[in-house]
Amino acid sequence: MKPRGSTWADVVLLLVGACFVLPLLWLVFGSLDPAAGHATRVPQQPGLGNFAAVFTPGLLFLPLWNSFLLSTGTGLVTVVAAVLAAYPLSRYRSRFNTPFMYGILFGTCLPVTAIMVPVYGLFVQLRLLDSMPATVLFLAATSLPMAIWMTRNFMDGVPLALEEAAWVDGASRLAALRAIVLPLMRPGLGVVFIFVFIQAWGNFFVPFVLLLSESSQPAAVSIFSFFGQHGAVAYGQLAAFSILYSVPVLALYVVVARGSGNALALSGAVRG
Amino acid sequence: MAATHRGRQVVRYLPVLPAAVLLLVFLAGPVLWAFHASMTNVGLTGRHARNPEWVGLENYQRLVQDPVFPLSLGLTVLFVAGSAVLGQNVLGLALAVLMRRARPAVSATVGTAVVAAWVLPEIVAAFAAYAFFSRDGTLNQLLGGLGQPETDWLYTVPMAAVVLANVWRGTAFSMLVYRAALNGVPAELTEAAQMDGAGAWQRLAYITLPVIRGSIATNLMLVTLQTLAVFTLIWVMTAGGPANGSTTLPVLAYQEAFKFGDIGYGTAVATVLIVIGGVFGAAYLRLLREQRP
Amino acid sequence: MLRRAPRTLSLLAAATLVLAACTPADPGGGNKTIKVAYQKTDSFTALDSMLQDAKKEFEAANQGVTVDLQPIQANDDDYGTKLALALRSPSTAPDVFYEDTFKVRSDVDAGYLLKLDSRLAGWGDWGKFDAGAKEAGKADDGGTYAVPLGTDTRAIWYNKKVLETAGISVPWHPSSWQDILDTARKIKAAEPDVIPFNMYAGKGTGEGTVMQGFYELLYGTGAALYDQDSKKWVVGSTGFKDSLTFLDTLYKEHLAVAPADALDPNIWKKVFGEWFPKAKLGATVEGSYAPSFWQAGGSYAWPGYAQDMGVAPFPTESGGAPGAVSMSGGWTLAVGADTKQPDLAFNFLTTALNAKNSLKFTVASSQIAVRSDVAADAGYQSANPFVKDVSGLVSVTRFRPATSDYPRISAAVQEATEAVITGKRTPEQAAADYDAAVAGIVGADKTIRK
Repeated sequence: MKPRGSTWADVVLLLVGACFVLPLLWLVFGSLDPAAGHATRVPQQPGLGNFAAVFTPGLLFLPLWNSFLLSTGTGLVTVVAAVLAAYPLSRYRSRFNTPFMYGILFGTCLPVTAIMVPVYGLFVQLRLLDSMPATVLFLAATSLPMAIWMTRNFMDGVPLALEEAAWVDGASRLAALRAIVLPLMRPGLGVVFIFVFIQAWGNFFVPFVLLLSESSQPAAVSIFSFFGQHGAVAYGQLAAFSILYSVPVLALYVVVARGSGNALALSGAVRG
Repeated sequence: MAATHRGRQVVRYLPVLPAAVLLLVFLAGPVLWAFHASMTNVGLTGRHARNPEWVGLENYQRLVQDPVFPLSLGLTVLFVAGSAVLGQNVLGLALAVLMRRARPAVSATVGTAVVAAWVLPEIVAAFAAYAFFSRDGTLNQLLGGLGQPETDWLYTVPMAAVVLANVWRGTAFSMLVYRAALNGVPAELTEAAQMDGAGAWQRLAYITLPVIRGSIATNLMLVTLQTLAVFTLIWVMTAGGPANGSTTLPVLAYQEAFKFGDIGYGTAVATVLIVIGGVFGAAYLRLLREQRP
Repeated sequence: MLRRAPRTLSLLAAATLVLAACTPADPGGGNKTIKVAYQKTDSFTALDSMLQDAKKEFEAANQGVTVDLQPIQANDDDYGTKLALALRSPSTAPDVFYEDTFKVRSDVDAGYLLKLDSRLAGWGDWGKFDAGAKEAGKADDGGTYAVPLGTDTRAIWYNKKVLETAGISVPWHPSSWQDILDTARKIKAAEPDVIPFNMYAGKGTGEGTVMQGFYELLYGTGAALYDQDSKKWVVGSTGFKDSLTFLDTLYKEHLAVAPADALDPNIWKKVFGEWFPKAKLGATVEGSYAPSFWQAGGSYAWPGYAQDMGVAPFPTESGGAPGAVSMSGGWTLAVGADTKQPDLAFNFLTTALNAKNSLKFTVASSQIAVRSDVAADAGYQSANPFVKDVSGLVSVTRFRPATSDYPRISAAVQEATEAVITGKRTPEQAAADYDAAVAGIVGADKTIRK
């Protein structure tokens, strides 16, 4: 492919990119400004005081740890369930496949906000309120449709011939799946995991409704009470906390984008 | 023979079980529960909290008479059409097309900026958007630098503010989908058209878009439904105000169920939302099926 | 925090296993735990420190019992939601909790609260509680379900400096709404960059809108929200329209804050923390607890408040009897209906509300005392210069109708004020909208035109 580059496209793109960066300016300036308000301004005496102030176990580490547990748990459950479900859907022909996949696609459509009220009711009934594992299972269920869809597309990309060679050598289907298919799908599974992880990490509404006690609140919720209640003086700390809370997923994204060449693997899987 | 075939079929599909159970318990169950609860007067407190009564379609009748409901429905349509169908979808496509023409370094940098807003935790994104549009926020400071008077965006044009915020937040998804789709368009096709003297716009309209129409339909469906469910962004930015000026259906459902404690009524609102999602989903699926031979 | 570590760890272990569906609620075998849910914010720590004291006292007196304090960090509205969410499920319902008086009745209806009469009868201190305040803990069946922590009144708080600069003599004592408008206009003319007279409005400030604003207006017109005799909600009253018109005038003439500011849920922080101390605000309607923010150790400590601030009763519309209007609310402690240890829970409640703890809390949060021994205490009477003024308002004060429909009615009132101050509806239109909303909420047969 010949190298391209048209200047007007560059200019337009950079303008749009600038618009996308603008709303983030407040976070950066505010976090470094000991006297931050919700106005954006270049700090007069920049300092790391805001970061120092939020660097406490109760304010920062426990919520982040809870977020980590929720997201990792959700990611693992989702990937395992999605791989198991995707295998027969990808490898066998059956009348069952098409309706199931459409059902799945339909599931990706379900507005999670709309079912939060009933889900809350369900959790009350099953006495699962304030239970971290149950919240993980629910988050996994909400991300499953998309994950199954993506995983099946990745699995379709692994040639059946490779697997058949393994069967000839006497390997069971499960062994072949583990030894041949999964390693070949590793980048794809990584994308699915990260995709689910990022969504769970950022989710506010689900833990807000389902988790009650302070000791199990993830960062998404603890940040809410942070700016809902703290006086106008705490904007700087809020910005600092927001940055510390966002950095892990941003970093994760960069790692994946590097690892899979670019971010396209993700959307390629969505293409359907 | 048939029996063993069926038996093998069952065993083969056994691995689907964990996923199926999760989906049934946590998605299908609540949807059914929603239909049921929307016909009761169950509340967060009061005498119907633990002993709800069956009220049939009363909640829906109330919904029809509630002046906020048509307003909320209209705002939801406006929000989805403005920020998803027009905003994210078109801007995402435009970005993807431009990125193929721009220098790789530029498109990578801009791509990262766009994706950053999408990867950000929703609550952080929502608060950044709030700070951006607030009265002494970044937008007013920029406009002030150009000599424009200060405007209270979240107050005077709340819908425009949340629509723009959602475009900012969600465009990355469409952009990624379209970048992948454009990569799949065979170069020979466009080159041939170029030989025939077709301009850039003509190539886009007659070659590229028809080739990627499957991706467009999928993308439209996904962003529409994601946008339909947006709650946190609006809740943090305007909380549905002023004077219900940005109360979309998810916000209305939350207010009714959790703030006023009327779970039955709030669930009725949520049920309407589920039905709308279902109709959209079905419509797009039809569209998709017609695309594929 | 450290004490929590083992429990947290076990929780984490369970979470990583994922399969374990339930986490143990009790940390140990024979140990008994009392779970206490309450509100704590960075500007409201008085209750937290009182309960910390009570916990120490109670654990020392009852070996083997752990008091598990679970502060909920949220504003009043969100606290109400979160508490209701927790109460609805027996597995998460706390044993003892902090409960707003106006929610008592609907929560009793829901079966969330334990009836306390038989236990209160055996508690010597109960006789020291003010009879009026006790009413707030009663339900429709006449039983008592909650014990008051304190009460409050509402009045006009004004900055003497601002008024004097505008040539108004202090102490200021407005005798009618017109008086308020005249004074506000004078301030506006003399000090254009000062907010002359603010009244909360809109949904942003929630109950603050109605408790410190609309009800002072409404009850000063002779109208009411709820007709006690017929047990029906009042619609179509002139008083309702007059009250909205007064707000309309305040906001239209820019005597109050900009409507966009009024809709900010955190506006009260600016009132206490910024505008009054910096003499940017002439006057506003606020609670008797105002000094708790300004006194030493408060969230907006302001040594000069005792000299600079003044307090005046809110007048009736045209000065008619009784000449002043005030609203009272207040919070209680209640015991959960599903508690496994009702005796222990109630005993903890009495420890938390004994004379020593009550006094400390009442002073720290500038409450109006509900115990006679606290009210008589010299420390309480000299806690701030305004105790006498605001306590005197108890004679004219009103309470919100404590029915389960109330929260929705209140929301409808807030919506009406929001529609008016944002200029979306005229006072007449907004009043008509309100009437329709009330009929929709309680049914037309439960409304009465007055």
